[in-house]
Amino acid sequence: MKNLKLVSREPGKRTTIDIDGVTIGSGLVVIAGPCSVESEDQMLAAAHAVKRAGANMLRGGAFKPRTSPYAFQGLGIQGLRILEKAKKETGLPIVTEVIDPRDVSWIAEFADVLQIGTRNMQNFALLKEVGKSGRPVLLKRGMYSTLSEWLNCAEYILSEGNSKVILCERGIRTFENYTRNTLDLSAVPAIKELTHLPIIIDPTHSTGRLSLIQPMSMAAVAAGCDGLIIEVHAKPEEALCDADQALTPGMFARLMNRVRPLRSFLDGAA
Amino acid sequence: MNLEEIRSRIDKIDRELLVILQERMGLALRSNKFKESISDPEREQRILDKVGRMKLDLIEGSFSKQLLQTIITESKRLQKEARLLVAFQGEHGAYGEVAARRLVPGGAYIPCMEFADVFQGVEEGFLDLGVVPVENSLEGAVTQVNDLLTTTRLKVIGEAKVPVNHCLLATEDTDYREIRMVYSHPQALAQCRGFLTRNKLEPRPFYDTAGAAKMLARENPKAAAAIASALSSKLYNLEIIKEKIEDGPSNSTRFLLLSKEANVSGGNKTSIIFATPHTAGSLYSVLRLFAESNINLTRIASMPLRSEPSNYSFFLDFEGSESDAKIIDVLDRMEKLTISMKNLGSYPADEDPQ
Repeated sequence: MKNLKLVSREPGKRTTIDIDGVTIGSGLVVIAGPCSVESEDQMLAAAHAVKRAGANMLRGGAFKPRTSPYAFQGLGIQGLRILEKAKKETGLPIVTEVIDPRDVSWIAEFADVLQIGTRNMQNFALLKEVGKSGRPVLLKRGMYSTLSEWLNCAEYILSEGNSKVILCERGIRTFENYTRNTLDLSAVPAIKELTHLPIIIDPTHSTGRLSLIQPMSMAAVAAGCDGLIIEVHAKPEEALCDADQALTPGMFARLMNRVRPLRSFLDGAA
Repeated sequence: MNLEEIRSRIDKIDRELLVILQERMGLALRSNKFKESISDPEREQRILDKVGRMKLDLIEGSFSKQLLQTIITESKRLQKEARLLVAFQGEHGAYGEVAARRLVPGGAYIPCMEFADVFQGVEEGFLDLGVVPVENSLEGAVTQVNDLLTTTRLKVIGEAKVPVNHCLLATEDTDYREIRMVYSHPQALAQCRGFLTRNKLEPRPFYDTAGAAKMLARENPKAAAAIASALSSKLYNLEIIKEKIEDGPSNSTRFLLLSKEANVSGGNKTSIIFATPHTAGSLYSVLRLFAESNINLTRIASMPLRSEPSNYSFFLDFEGSESDAKIIDVLDRMEKLTISMKNLGSYPADEDPQ
């Protein structure tokens, strides 16, 4: 791949990113939480639940990129203040999505990691802005993108002087429609061959099916991913978005009880 | 003008009305210190006659009389509550008021222009108690207050360490993306410089943090925000966009509660001010008394004497009460070693700066 001056693999180099005490790129980091921040009670309940189950970071959207302009758009700054409170109570660093270049500096005041969603992967103005912010960036793969296009987007962020990029595979569009997307797990070893950046897997949006989340999480860990990002809602039936794919706290705890030992086993075997 | 703009201006006027009414209620409470009884029918009649004579074509005389009557009735009800008048320097919402609310819950908090007004009001008995800052963990001593402590006869009866929590505040209808200018006291602006730079906001110096919040609520200038306490957001109905926007580790300010009378229940901390003669070892001989009696000093500060600029007075805070035998003894022996000495009193120490 040409012109990937900064993201290309260099012998012996693996990037690790410290996020307020959590290191991405060495162990298995699990990011969990609801699709969006709906209210203080909902967010705090989810935050405490995922913390108890052993999550390392908290996710939650305050600015939502929705397919329909009439769908819930997120609580905005109010949502960020709720996330800040959730971090204060649980100590979990915050991952939240940014969809507008004008919001980057403001969201960076609250969040530990800025997430670029799949629909914005090639929003180059936004990529430059998060690059300038210096905050760690979680760059999701565009649902129609090749690895080369994806890595070029990471290159945009690194070229602004921000080397703290975490890649996230979240499924791509194929002709299969039983699953919401097709999880491209070959991306994990491929990305490790091509770059020094850490890669995590989103088993929620890639499958869109509750029953597939745990098996694919285990497959992702077996493939050698650096982390997982999973949607968890204290009461999924009441969620304002993605209600049918959010795990309950109990399901998430069971998933954690499978993936952590698997990772330890693989680490021991290696 | 469209409906939205008109309603936004009406909201602004409603906020302004309540802020002004709060000021009027504060003055009514203060007037109580000068009157024989709460009710003064003659004065009430004069007020109602005066407003009745104002010719405002949209405000009928009968309506203005009715409105004023309602205000006066509420004001008399407030006066009957006999709340303690607690003075602080600054506008409503100042960190001084944050301290006052913690030290004297349920009081009536009276804003004063200057520190001297707080001291004078309490000394003359027009205000019951005063709350003043003595030192900040980052900026050091508040010299004006330390100076007033030496020259007035007030007693210290309490202290509060108030963490400074700078908040970015704006009116409800302000979109944070449109904010360009941020008003606040120069010291607060300096403590939040990093935040302002990162978000490309222009600092605008203002006389007071809470004053900036008040101005925002009353005038609602376009594209503007203020840096002030969280209390200011409640008092002026402003939205908190972000809390704790200061750059460094959070700082705190220590406030003293002042009264004409010493604290009857005493306390575990004592403050004194003294001056020593200009001879070798005179300060040492005083401090030695504390060391030998095993009394822990919590603060020692020096300030030039206004009357003799080459001489210094020393501010000493230490653990223990003025009624403890070993402290009575030390203070007694100090008299002979100092040229002036003033016991500000004993009070309960604020151990937990939260």
